[in-house]
Amino acid sequence: MTPRRAYLDALVAHLGPGDVLVSGLGANARWLPHLPVRVPVFALCDAMGAAIPLALGVALTRPGRRVVALEGDGALLMSPNVLATVAAARPANLTCVLWANGRYESSGGQPLPDAPVDWVALARAAGIAHAERIGDAPGLGAALARLRTVRTPALLVLDVLFDPAEEIPPYSERPEEIRARFRL
Amino acid sequence: MDGASRIVAGLEAGGVTLAAAVPDTWIGALTAAARRSPRLRVVDAAREEEAVAIACGAALAGGRGAALMQNAGLLNCGGVLASLVELYRIPCVLVVSCRGDWRDPVYYHAPKGRVTEATLAAWRLPWIHADRTGDLTAQVRRCVDFAVESRGAFVLLISGEDLA
Repeated sequence: MTPRRAYLDALVAHLGPGDVLVSGLGANARWLPHLPVRVPVFALCDAMGAAIPLALGVALTRPGRRVVALEGDGALLMSPNVLATVAAARPANLTCVLWANGRYESSGGQPLPDAPVDWVALARAAGIAHAERIGDAPGLGAALARLRTVRTPALLVLDVLFDPAEEIPPYSERPEEIRARFRL
Repeated sequence: MDGASRIVAGLEAGGVTLAAAVPDTWIGALTAAARRSPRLRVVDAAREEEAVAIACGAALAGGRGAALMQNAGLLNCGGVLASLVELYRIPCVLVVSCRGDWRDPVYYHAPKGRVTEATLAAWRLPWIHADRTGDLTAQVRRCVDFAVESRGAFVLLISGEDLA
């Protein structure tokens, strides 16, 4: 199982000019200020489940930018309906990256309801044809590179190691700072 | 021009570029009018919290967003209004069908009608009832302007009569 930081490093390395990053709450949002991200970032510290619809609104308004949304499996389990909304809106420039570790990590690592949710199958059933499961960091990088030429919404499901000992930095930016700096 | 078209004209005049909608009988009529606008992108959302977030995304990207929904959906939205719209100070105008008020005789809407205004007050959100006897287009534009200037939410409550 691949740890979070390896995926984050691959993600950051494969973001290019013109990309936009929208992150759901939790560990990713807390890590991003400490990584060399060279694209606009809008990171949530709350608003569980809002990352993908927020990114959808950005993507539809700025069709010339590729928007990458980071969301956790706990958040998406709370609002899986957004998969159908994305499929219906058909944004050509939205890639959703789902971090699946089966845990509500930001609230203490409690397990999700013990159900074998197949996110790739669920996304496809909702109408997102391009959905794939990723098992390692090079796979994420390759998928992000490949998706640059794909003109349909996509969902990448990352198998992420849950590591209770991971030293996740605290939130280091206030919402007003994030909002003020986010300029496209 | 019917009321739905006047509301859409107000959204257009306010510079709204994207309207995310979850229909009920009344909002469905409004959404149909919005789809006829060449200046509005209508996004069909599966749930109201999504509609708010989609509208916020439009605002973050340099456009202006509106969310169209019934008051049942508005009552779902306390979390996203607090943790996204208010926390990040994002303009978002909500056009909400106010089912269950004195103009709406359908019995099963009445519980929502009884708590809508009190909930908006508790959430400290600015809101008005649309006044179809006045300039509805100008009212809607002022709602959008208020949301933009205050960098927050503004809720316009409408009835079925306002759409006629």
